[in-house]
Order: sequence, then C-alpha cells, then structure tokens
Amino acid sequence: MALSRRNFVRTVGIGAAGALTTSFIGARGRENFIWSALEAPLEAAAPGTIIISSNENPMGPGPKVLDAIKAAFGADGSRPGRYSGTARDLIDALAKKHGVKPENIVLGCGSTQILRNVTHNFTAKDKPLVATIPTYEECADYATLMGNKVVGVPLDSEFRPDLDRFADMARGAGLVFYCNPSNPSSTYVGARATRDFLAKLNSQSPETTILVDEAYFEYVTNPDHETFIPLAVQNPRVIVARTFSKAYGMAGLRVGYAIGHADTIKKLAEWDAGSGTSSMNVLALQGGIAAIQQDASFIVSERARNTAVRDFTMKWFADRGMKPADSQANFMFVNIGRPAKEFRDACAAKGVRVARDFPPFEKTHCRIAFGTMEEMQQAVKVFGEVLGKPATIAA
Amino acid sequence: MLRTRRGLFTVVGREDSYRNTAALFAARGHEAYVAELQTQGRNARPPLPPGTQEIRISSNENPLGPGAKVLDAIVGKFPEAGRYPFNSTPSDANLTAAIATHFKIKPENVSLGAGSQEILRSAVRAFTGPDRGLVTAAPTFENPTSLAKKLGHPLTEIPVDADFRLDVEKMIAAAPGSGLVFFNNPNNPTATVHGAKTVTDFVARVRKAAPDAVILIDEAYHDYVTDPSYATAVPLALETPNVLVARTFSKAYGMAGMRIGFAVGQAETVKRLARFKMPYNISVFGVVAAITALNDPAHIEAERNRNLEVRSFTAKALADLGCKCTDSHGNFLFVEIKRPAKDFRDACAKQGVSVGRDFPPFEKTHARISIGTMDEMRKAVEVFRGVLKPVTTAGR
Repeated sequence: MALSRRNFVRTVGIGAAGALTTSFIGARGRENFIWSALEAPLEAAAPGTIIISSNENPMGPGPKVLDAIKAAFGADGSRPGRYSGTARDLIDALAKKHGVKPENIVLGCGSTQILRNVTHNFTAKDKPLVATIPTYEECADYATLMGNKVVGVPLDSEFRPDLDRFADMARGAGLVFYCNPSNPSSTYVGARATRDFLAKLNSQSPETTILVDEAYFEYVTNPDHETFIPLAVQNPRVIVARTFSKAYGMAGLRVGYAIGHADTIKKLAEWDAGSGTSSMNVLALQGGIAAIQQDASFIVSERARNTAVRDFTMKWFADRGMKPADSQANFMFVNIGRPAKEFRDACAAKGVRVARDFPPFEKTHCRIAFGTMEEMQQAVKVFGEVLGKPATIAA
Repeated sequence: MLRTRRGLFTVVGREDSYRNTAALFAARGHEAYVAELQTQGRNARPPLPPGTQEIRISSNENPLGPGAKVLDAIVGKFPEAGRYPFNSTPSDANLTAAIATHFKIKPENVSLGAGSQEILRSAVRAFTGPDRGLVTAAPTFENPTSLAKKLGHPLTEIPVDADFRLDVEKMIAAAPGSGLVFFNNPNNPTATVHGAKTVTDFVARVRKAAPDAVILIDEAYHDYVTDPSYATAVPLALETPNVLVARTFSKAYGMAGMRIGFAVGQAETVKRLARFKMPYNISVFGVVAAITALNDPAHIEAERNRNLEVRSFTAKALADLGCKCTDSHGNFLFVEIKRPAKDFRDACAKQGVSVGRDFPPFEKTHARISIGTMDEMRKAVEVFRGVLKPVTTAGR
C-alpha cells in the first residue's frame, strides 16, 4: 500500500495542482480513497442484485490497476482525449511476462476480438470450424455469420470431449476452437492429454489451425496444468488466446490478446489494422500494464479465493443430489433438472442473475458463476427456495 | 465519499493550475520517455531541448480531453471495472438508448463502435465485396480505403475538387455498381464541408444511380462545423434506405483514447452493419463517459467556440506567413506550405511541434495542422514562422 501511494503521488501529483492533490490525499488516506469507491460494489448495478451470470471476477482489478487508470488521465486530465499510441508498451510487458517476443503477440478489445479475428482468418466456405458442443459461442457465431460451416463435437457424460473423436472430426477443418477449461462446461483437460491431442491433430490435419482459449487459465488447480504458449510460439498452427477479463478482474476494460508464431500473429494483426491502437482504450492499455506488473500474489490469492467459493458452492449442489461437472474455472455447470430459463427467471425474481441457455443442455443445465463467498451464501439460499419447488415443465 | 472523488478532479482540472502542471509534466515526461525508448533501442524522436514541451497537433484531437465531469464519472465506476459492459450500470444498452434519446430516434437506429473506425471497417466488410467496390475520395480519411485494398475489393478514389471539397459530381458518376460510397463531411484532411442541400442532393442522386449501394456519411467533425449551410445528415439517414451516418466521441467530446463511435440509420441498414460489430466493444468506462458527456451539451458548445477562436487565430497567422488554408470546418487546418510536408514536419518536430502526416496527392505542397490550445498554437506559430522561411529547396 505504501508503494502504491507513492506511485499515485508520482504519477498524478506533479506540479502546482499536484501539490494540492497530494496534501488532499495525504489527509484522506490513499486506501480510503480507493476503497471508498468499492464500499458498495453492486449497489449501483441494481440494488442487491447478485450478478453470477458472466464468469466475472467479483472483486474487480487490484488497487494498482485502478491507480494506473487514474494516472492514465494525465496530470491535467487531458490524456483520454489523445489516441492510444501506447499499445506497444502493453505488448512489451506481455512479451516479458510470457518470455516471448513482441512479434508473437497481438492485442484485442477483449479476447472476443481475438476470437473473431482468428475465425475470420482461418475458416472459409470449404474450411469449417470444429468445436465442442456446447462451447463459448463467439467463434461459431462469427463463422455462421460469414456463412462458414460449424461442426460440433459432442461431450461425454462428464462433459469432457472424446479427444480421439475430436481429432478425427477436425480433419480438413480450417479452425479448431479448444477452450480449456471449457466454457460453459467448466471441465478441464490435463496438459498431457492436451499436448497429445494437439500433436495428433497437427499430424492428421496439418493445415488446421488450433485456437487454444486459455481464458480461465489462472483458475485451474489441477497439478497437470501448463500453458500452450511455448508451443504456439514455435508452431504456426497453434494460437493461444488470453484475457484480462477473468482472474485479473478487468472485464469492463476490454483487453485480451493472442500469442503465436510471428507469421500467424502478423496475419492477425493485419486484419485488425493497427493492432491495439484502433480498438483499445488508453485506460485499458495502462491498466493492463499495471495488472501484469502487480505482485504475483494478486493472482495466487484470487485463485485461492475462487477455489474456496467453488468448493463451497459445488458441495452445496452435490449435497442435494445435483453433482456439478468437475469445475476448474470460476463457474460451474450443473444439472438442475429443469429448463435453465425457468430457473434463471425464478432466481432473477429473487435478485440473483445466473447465465443464459447453453443448447443442447438448456432444458436441464445451468451455468452459475462464482461471486464472493458472501454472495454465494446468499445465492444458495435463493437456489434452495427455487429448486425446492418441483419443475413446472418436465425436463 | 462522492465529495472525495469529485474533489480530486475539480482540484486537478482547475483552469489556472493545470497549465503549469501540464507544461511541467509534458517537459519531463517526454524527455524521460524518449530516453527510456532509446535505452531499449527503439525508434524515437531525438530529445527536445531542455524545457521544451511537445505540442502534439498531428491527430485532430481535443487538447483538453473530456473534462472533469467525465473523469469523475469514470472514477465513480471503478467498482464495476470487473463487470462486462452489459452488466454494468449504466450498461452499453443504456448508451445506445442515450444516443437514441439524444437524436430522438429508437435504439434500433443506433449501432456502437470501438471508435467510428470500427463503424467504417464494419461498413467496408458488410457492404463491399469482390464485385462491389468502395467509392471514396482522395485525400480523405483513409481507413475504408486501406481496408478495401487489404480485402482486394474494387476501389475508386475521386480526387477532391479545386476548392479541396469532395467532388460530388464525380463521386455520383462513380457510384453505379459500387457497394459503399464513403462521404467524409467535413472531409479529413482537407477540412472543407458541404452544405445540407448538396448532401441531400448527393444522396438522392447516388440512390438513383446505385440503389444497392450504401452511403456512409462520416460526420466525425460535426461539432466543429461553423458553416450555416451545413446540417447533420442524421434525419436524411433515418428517412432514406441504405444511408448511414457515423459519429465519434473522439473529436469535440475529447475522448479519442476511449474508443467510442456509433452509426445512425434506418433499422434495416443498421442491422446489416451491426452483424459485424464486435460484442462488448465499449468499455464500462467508455459507456459512462459517453452518457455523461451527452448530458452536458454546454461543454460541447464551449469546445466549439474555443476551437473556432484558436482556428481563426492560427489560420490568420499562417496567412500572414503567406500560407493559405482551405476553408476549415474541423479542428484542423489544411494549409499550403509550398514545400514537402515531410520537410515541414521534420523541421517542426525538432522544435517539439508534431504536425500531420503526408496526404497524397498533396504531400509535396500541403500540411495538416490540428488545433491545440491557444497557448500551444501561439508557440506553434512561432515555430512555423521560423520553419516557413522562403523555400530554398524548390522543385524537390
């Protein structure tokens, strides 16, 4: 905290106005200032509503990120009036963090932009997208929009893909979307199995590009865990997507990125003219740098916080005979024995917002994100009331 | 606590104190930045003489930024930085609704973009193809031109007329068979504007000549126009199929760094464009910033007046140096410097003044100069006075 106070004074507090600001902050206390903004996290959203529908980090970004955002206003508050032009600094910081070169990285307005960009570049009329059903919809939606075919790979009863079948179905595909941990099913395929799958796919279908979406990477607690960034950097057919929207708590800022072979990244960067500078805002760029540079304990404690809430919430459902899929993320996928819509509407009426439909499981399953422990203690009370009632429609 | 937050930016943003602050920060900041870049072996401009602050008048930005109310609103949303823009309060849907209310239209007539650049790119993707190209001007804002080239779609660039205005007749003649006609009004970089009657007539005749083409009227500099014959084409877009108007918060609203733009048109046209929209393209902070700004029209009025005063001062100073500006209706000037823009730019940069890039086919004779603060432009004019001495490298 002492360090962050110094940073704040150094960046914002320069010159005459700065002197006033500094004494002002000194009097109030730096922590007081930041935490005053956080004292009623959800009150502004809709009084009392618990939002556990979008796999967000309920704690938001760390104080250093918020400091950096405020510093990004500039000493006189004019900086947001200037075009970004600083995307390179975030790329450099990311390159350092991941031990890759700047030419291995392209930024996006959230990983959403990355997913679209990759889909645009690697699917075609005769080059379908292959992904599990269900999966995060962005690539499939965009491929469909472009008139390109989407092939769905079913999951087994544990909500895991049969990787041999997945690899076989991906022969001749333009793009494979491999989200791990998988959204919305929350399950995780271990690093060894993923490595074998990628190798098999690569040898069976050398022209197929594989997008490994590691959005929930930081939440995995399974020891058989590693990033595929090193593979992506050397293999032009593998791309890894990452985001600041999940464990880093910055969904509102819109920062994501892809890491891959320099040739692949060049192709992606060309499609989205001026990588980063045209679609990303200055607060996001500066916040992203601060997020990377903050102490590693931020992610460690966020993972621990999430794990505790995950254990609590999953046990609550399991104790009531509704065993969720084995979650390695900040959300779970659970058979509630009734249509998700019915459950969702009933929960919403009681101030708890859970996720949208995920066909083909919309008649039986719901995705629930993990809020804070307090929020989940409240939420399970609502779930208890709602699920205590028999389903109005037979599942 | 609210008082705490507001207090900070009221204090920092005070007119009398921030000038000093900005000067100090810019001088130190720039030198430190350049030194840092150089230690990394990266390309950077040479350090400026000690005490010189960089004057950035190269990108048609609002030098004052969005103002204290907007900054306060952003800080007020720190608790929701972790929420997606559809979960925050206000949400991105609230911004769409606020824009609709502003124009007295429906949300279905509005599509948001990460800057109007996303709108322009989406339009090229949505409305051009290998057999239906882009009709645009030269010089004009290049974004659609570059994307059409990249996609390999046919491209027709119509040179501006003798008065540096979009050549309406030739653009109409080029429209048949095209997919998209891009009409930047006022036109960047030439700064000229067409009046409402000309635009209405242009749209009607393009519609007749090319019924399937979409006409995209980019009004990025709308708030800076002072020509009484000008009017926004938003009502025209609402009553005419295949017409879109692009707007941005990057110029008079002072939020270029926030990336917020939007398109307005008939629901059917907007829908075709919006298929290419990136989901959640505006940040939680961008959403609240834009809504706050829309609720403060007096701020924009003041910015228009400020810009007009500084623009008139700068144009007159350049005229006194024998350099004629086109009739500007933006926050920038297109000026005949009678020498290559690069020579002028490099000479100005050495003294800490950054001016606009090359704009072919006028890169040998004209430069684009954005309008900074009055203080900045007074200093910039002194630099121009030194640089724009009689040409000794004629014919280069």
